[in-house]
Amino acid sequence: MKQENAHSIRIYLRYIFNKYILSKRWVKIAPVYLMTVFILLFLNFLLPRLLPGDVIIAMYSGQELLITDELYNELIVLHGLDKPLIEQFCIYITQLAHGDLGYSYISHASTTDLIMNALPWTLLLVFSSFILSSIAGIILGVESSWRRGGRFDRSLLMIMLFIDGIPSLALGIMFLTVFSLYCGWFPTAGALTPYSDTTGIAYIIDVLWHLILPLGALTLSQIPGDYLLIRNSMLLTIREPFVLTARAKGIKERRIKYLHTARNAILPFFTRIGIRVVYVITGVLFIETIFAYPGLGLLTYEAISNRDLPLMQGIFTISVLLVLVVNILVDISYKKIDPRIEYA
Amino acid sequence: MHNRFLKQFKLNKIGMSGLIIFLFLLLLAIFAPVIAPYDPWDYSFEYLLPPSIDHLLGTNDIGYDLFSELLWSLRTSILFGVSVGAIASTIGLLIGVSAAISGGLYDIIVMRIADALLAIPTIMVLILIAAYFKPSTIVLIIALSLIIWQTIARGARAQTLSLKSKLHIKAARNMGASTSYIIFKHILPELFPLFAMGFVTKVRIAVFMEAGLSFLGIFDPTSKSLGIMMNYAMRYLYLDVWYNWLLPTVLSLSMLIISLALISYAIEEIFDPRLRRDNIA
Repeated sequence: MKQENAHSIRIYLRYIFNKYILSKRWVKIAPVYLMTVFILLFLNFLLPRLLPGDVIIAMYSGQELLITDELYNELIVLHGLDKPLIEQFCIYITQLAHGDLGYSYISHASTTDLIMNALPWTLLLVFSSFILSSIAGIILGVESSWRRGGRFDRSLLMIMLFIDGIPSLALGIMFLTVFSLYCGWFPTAGALTPYSDTTGIAYIIDVLWHLILPLGALTLSQIPGDYLLIRNSMLLTIREPFVLTARAKGIKERRIKYLHTARNAILPFFTRIGIRVVYVITGVLFIETIFAYPGLGLLTYEAISNRDLPLMQGIFTISVLLVLVVNILVDISYKKIDPRIEYA
Repeated sequence: MHNRFLKQFKLNKIGMSGLIIFLFLLLLAIFAPVIAPYDPWDYSFEYLLPPSIDHLLGTNDIGYDLFSELLWSLRTSILFGVSVGAIASTIGLLIGVSAAISGGLYDIIVMRIADALLAIPTIMVLILIAAYFKPSTIVLIIALSLIIWQTIARGARAQTLSLKSKLHIKAARNMGASTSYIIFKHILPELFPLFAMGFVTKVRIAVFMEAGLSFLGIFDPTSKSLGIMMNYAMRYLYLDVWYNWLLPTVLSLSMLIISLALISYAIEEIFDPRLRRDNIA
């Protein structure tokens, strides 16, 4: 009797475990986040310490930075380099948890401050290009797939494949050369007119004025990816029986197209948002460098030219965190977007 | 399946035009030492010459012949791209197939690493690695290959898993075929289109990364690279050098990546017949 009880309890526990723990999405996803954080820590913390030679020399040997004995000792204390690796790790984590990403001795500023000054501009660029390219990609993809095989579809596909082939780097250079330097329609650098001290509407117009070209280049480089994804997904959804049913019911064409077919075809688009953010971050790095737009991308470029490793590490941390946050948001809203999804 | 794949690729106009452009650029790159009229490291010419018969694209700010430099840069790009493509897709295939065959903890760990790599901005990792090691090109090729294998591994794993349960493989196993026989005889040939697709995509990423990183100043500035040429051309834009210095560089890089994009789209279309343009349901 007692044994039977133990057996049924075990079955019950397994049932509870499967139902409430194993079937949850986060059980599958959490290891991925942990792994990502591990890779981040490996690259930022462990790798410089594993390098042959001195960590301080490896991290701070910038071209314009003279490492005096005084600074050397200061850095040893700051990173706890005279202590065992575990303690160094604790110091690193504590600093990270306090939002302290290090100190850039080349710019004589806290890395966190430098990044926080640049981040809003990058977010503005990334967010607006993300929205614009998504809208354009969805509309073009839906219309193109609806006319599959026709002249519109084929020529749009060829155009998109061509734009897809032009790297964001080349696209930015072309935009800058043609529209800023040759035509002179837009400013060549910066996010604001220097020393203009405008406020209110004039300020907003100034910001938009500087935003247009980088935003245009970044958006154009993102559209083909979105377009191809939506078009492929549409081509698969169009053959579903419910589209035929909708047609048989005599629903208007546009309604079938957007409210029935596109609504279902859009789902892979959402699941890929996390990956697409990585593409946008890569694109924004080059676009900002080319247009001297004062965001994280330009900061990275400056960090590279000054060999400013603490700053590079800080930017790396921020960009990984950005991707993680977007991924978590996507994971949370997953069930709202597609209620059919099974978590098991 | 793989035989039919090659036949279908020959019939695909998009794919073939991409392949022709790529082969043309490949030939230019391979025969760069023969075609290039001058040594690309010879700076004995007058600087900033406009295009002429002697110098097809003119010379740059320190007197390099731009046409020779362009050919050698193309060589760097293609060499970098193809090596990364080959290494990364081989790693991806090995990991994907082995994960699917062995299963268990190995499968779980490897696939979580693959997922995590998807969330890490590749370019930032390369910038960090380049800053730590000041590495040679070979180190960067290996580093890039080690962080972009994940998509191929996922594809290869999924396809191997579905193949494993197919009847012909079960039959082979019942007849006493060993695991290695099944992998080499039945699984790997079926994965060829996936491998080809992965190879082309990775070459494309690598070409872009090489140009981008050298544009940002990661590589040795004396080496020949499309990115470095672009970076320097941008500094002299005010001298009206865009048509003989910037434009050819931007165009060759774009042509190279466009050709790869066309090829990979064609492979995808053959791979998944539901996507075909002429296929009206």
